[in-house]
Amino acid sequence: MNLTCSEQQRTACGVGGLYTALAIERCLPIMHCGPGCFGNVSATLGGMNGGQSGETYLGSVIPSTNFCEDDVVFGGTERLRKLVEECKKYYDADMFMIVDGCTAEIVGDDIEEVASVCTENDKPVLYAALPGFKGNSVWGHEQVLSAIVDQFLKPAEKTNPRQVNVFGIVPFFDPMWAGTLDALESLLVHLGLEPNIIYGREKGIANVNKIPEAAFNLILAPWTDLGVAERLRERFGTPYLHFDNMPIGPTETARLIRTLADYADLDRGKAEALIHKEEERFFYYMRRSYSWIFGCKNFPRKFIVNAGAAAAVSVTRFAVNDLGMIPYRIYITEGVPEEYEEMVRAQLHNIDYDGDFEIIFSEDGGLFEESLKTEDFSIRKICVFGTAWDLVPVKKHKLTFVSVAAPYGNCMIGSRTYFGCEGALRFCEDLYANAADNIVDPGI
Amino acid sequence: MAIDLNWKTIPAREQRLGSITGYDGMLLDMATQGCQGCLKDKRRDFQTASSCAHHHLINQLAGLRDVAVVDHAPIGCVGSQVFFSSGRAKTEPPPGAPPMENVRILSSGLNEPDTIFGATEKLKDTVRVAYERHHPREIYIATSCVSAVIGEDVESVATEMSEELGIPVVVGAGEGLRSKIWASGFDAYCHAASLARLKGKAPTENKKPSISYVGFAPMGRRHIEPLFRRIGLDLICLTASASIEDFQRAAESVATWGQCGAQSSYLCGVLEKEFGVKYFQSHLPYGGIGFERFFLDIARFVGREADGKQAIEEEKAKYLPKIEKIKQKLKGKKALIAMGASFAYEYTRILGELGMEVMHTVAYHYDPKLDNLHPEERVAAATDVFELKLNVPTSVNDAQQQETNLIVKKYKPDIVLSRAHEAGVFAQLQGIPALDAEIGLIVMGYRGLYRFAVLLEEAFQTNNLVKKFGKRYVSAFSELYESTEPFQFYREESI
Repeated sequence: MNLTCSEQQRTACGVGGLYTALAIERCLPIMHCGPGCFGNVSATLGGMNGGQSGETYLGSVIPSTNFCEDDVVFGGTERLRKLVEECKKYYDADMFMIVDGCTAEIVGDDIEEVASVCTENDKPVLYAALPGFKGNSVWGHEQVLSAIVDQFLKPAEKTNPRQVNVFGIVPFFDPMWAGTLDALESLLVHLGLEPNIIYGREKGIANVNKIPEAAFNLILAPWTDLGVAERLRERFGTPYLHFDNMPIGPTETARLIRTLADYADLDRGKAEALIHKEEERFFYYMRRSYSWIFGCKNFPRKFIVNAGAAAAVSVTRFAVNDLGMIPYRIYITEGVPEEYEEMVRAQLHNIDYDGDFEIIFSEDGGLFEESLKTEDFSIRKICVFGTAWDLVPVKKHKLTFVSVAAPYGNCMIGSRTYFGCEGALRFCEDLYANAADNIVDPGI
Repeated sequence: MAIDLNWKTIPAREQRLGSITGYDGMLLDMATQGCQGCLKDKRRDFQTASSCAHHHLINQLAGLRDVAVVDHAPIGCVGSQVFFSSGRAKTEPPPGAPPMENVRILSSGLNEPDTIFGATEKLKDTVRVAYERHHPREIYIATSCVSAVIGEDVESVATEMSEELGIPVVVGAGEGLRSKIWASGFDAYCHAASLARLKGKAPTENKKPSISYVGFAPMGRRHIEPLFRRIGLDLICLTASASIEDFQRAAESVATWGQCGAQSSYLCGVLEKEFGVKYFQSHLPYGGIGFERFFLDIARFVGREADGKQAIEEEKAKYLPKIEKIKQKLKGKKALIAMGASFAYEYTRILGELGMEVMHTVAYHYDPKLDNLHPEERVAAATDVFELKLNVPTSVNDAQQQETNLIVKKYKPDIVLSRAHEAGVFAQLQGIPALDAEIGLIVMGYRGLYRFAVLLEEAFQTNNLVKKFGKRYVSAFSELYESTEPFQFYREESI
């Protein structure tokens, strides 16, 4: 029986990699794709993902050749070349990223050739082949980053000993990417580093240009961007520090700060003072609400995660180490490459809890809803940390729910983040409010 | 007549109806050329991403009750469906039916080796998983750009799986590259649903006193059902959540109409051609003028004209005084409209009815004809041109908002009236007030007109946020583009 079919997908297709380009201010994706390819990636990564879109370029102004039947027969490279030339005239942009989809790749249109013909000194035109049959949007993200590293960056004349490039987070696939990067930037500055982040507000091509100057690259994710970090090491000799998650809550935040202090030889006193301050602040607010939290008598201790590895590791560490919850089953849904599966498994087990729990690697986001047909939650409920797809089944079964990954939901995400100790409080606000709602009518 | 339930693959809307996505001129000329069969399309060199038939085929099919959809495509071609699943789950179920659940859409997940070796076995397995997981009463297989380009024999798989599973397994033509008009996906949905739910059913002489509505959602049904009861008709909604039985009942109803020509025409046409259900397409029931014409057409058709007139009078008495009050505030305001093919011109008439001036109407495509049996019955927009002398500067683009933006800049309207596709967002961010209008049953009749008038009134009451957006607007385009006259990217040739 075929095991690769899926439903309730938590990623978009490879073309979704263009959202990484959109996260870089004034980087314009140019699509050599079917007319609907943007629409197909934009719900999971945009509108249904906390009401997000590109900011420099709204979804409705992203240029596309709208690949059609004629192009299958005659090829579409000439139409693409014309479109790129017009984009250079008509858009206000610092960088152009040609991306193509399935059909252009099958018929063999040469986007590399178009990019090279169209590039001028002040208007770089890069290219990334993103056919959905080769990978999903997380794969697409790495293709776009690799295009920038391989086609655009040049070796730096000097290294900035304080500069750290931040990678690992996949913009939009991590729905809280913008708020998280803002908060992370403040933390790194406080520790005496000069963070260089390429995504989000007021970053853009200037920061992209600075990538080769960094003292080191910081990868804050279970596995994403490790390939990019390797490429950066090969090309520019930049070492990298791999910290396996974007911390939520006091335990992981403290571990990140200490890891950075050790690695980059930062002021230890300052680091410990910050850890102390953040932890005390977190527990102050937790104590202040604990009478109410404790009153949530039926609060489910066990939890399921149905999301990508990044959300799963961050949430599992916090839920177990800081909130005393119990992992029950974890679905990892973004198609983690086989070579990383054991590493991610080990990361999930690296928690302050000895019991066993199930970890399932599958892009089939529907497995959780399917499991509800045979699970018995009539005596004890469970918490679900998932995506907008999970809302309907959790409501039906009156399960406590927090959205932690794309597609995040039909709402405005704003600058929301679960990062650090402050973000952990946001997580607790969402978690216990939802639990309290279900306790009024637990359905038991 | 462009309906045929023997078609394996329904032709794209461009070929089937002569529909277009490029035009600039006057509505009178476009409607006249459309009626004479000489309307030509225009291409554009510079264009932005639009939408595709695949997306709409699947969201319509998956909305139906008791179905599973299998997408024979790479995994991401159903990436947009979470939006529809979320909306559908919030839809009020019909009386007695269980709450709505997530849509049941499985992707066969075509990958690189599949593009070389084919993947019909994988497709069969996906159909089996869909059946075992959800026990649907029907399964639809959607084709895609990739399945078409690599030449998959999806029809044979559907036939084989239908025999194996003992339920209808029907193919929907969802190749996004086949049509520039996303409404081709609506046609493919109507065709596939008709094959599964209506083909082979014998027409009946004993029609039931009912009318069927073809549309996206049944939202607003509770306000409209009582009106039809006044003329002795039950309302059947062939919308998201419609069951197989709803389709069967629709085939026995006396009349049908659709929310718009784009989404509904083919299914209404099937009901008319195959089952003798009269399709009312020329007058759509929006605004006071539209509602009165439409409702009286139907009341006359079922021999209940007096009851129809009485119902209209009562609706008017209830809402017209309130509408008149708001009209004073709207008088003389100038609007620009950017919407789908039917509603663009419906709202052109409605804004006129409310005393406003429409400076320009952008339609996301235009159908010169639709699917009813009687060619003398025109599409609704053309009917208004000839019946009401409706005329307005107009253009057609497939949600090319950079084109619409130039038109907005040229006309400087007081308000932009849009629906989806970001025309209104674009305007608001530049400091121009905008309103995203509703469609379907909720807009129907005098209640719908009053509701719309209230929304408009509010839109003009304060624009504090819009003004602040406007002060901070930074164009995504160069000065060269911003100083360009509209329509210069069109090429004056037919496709």
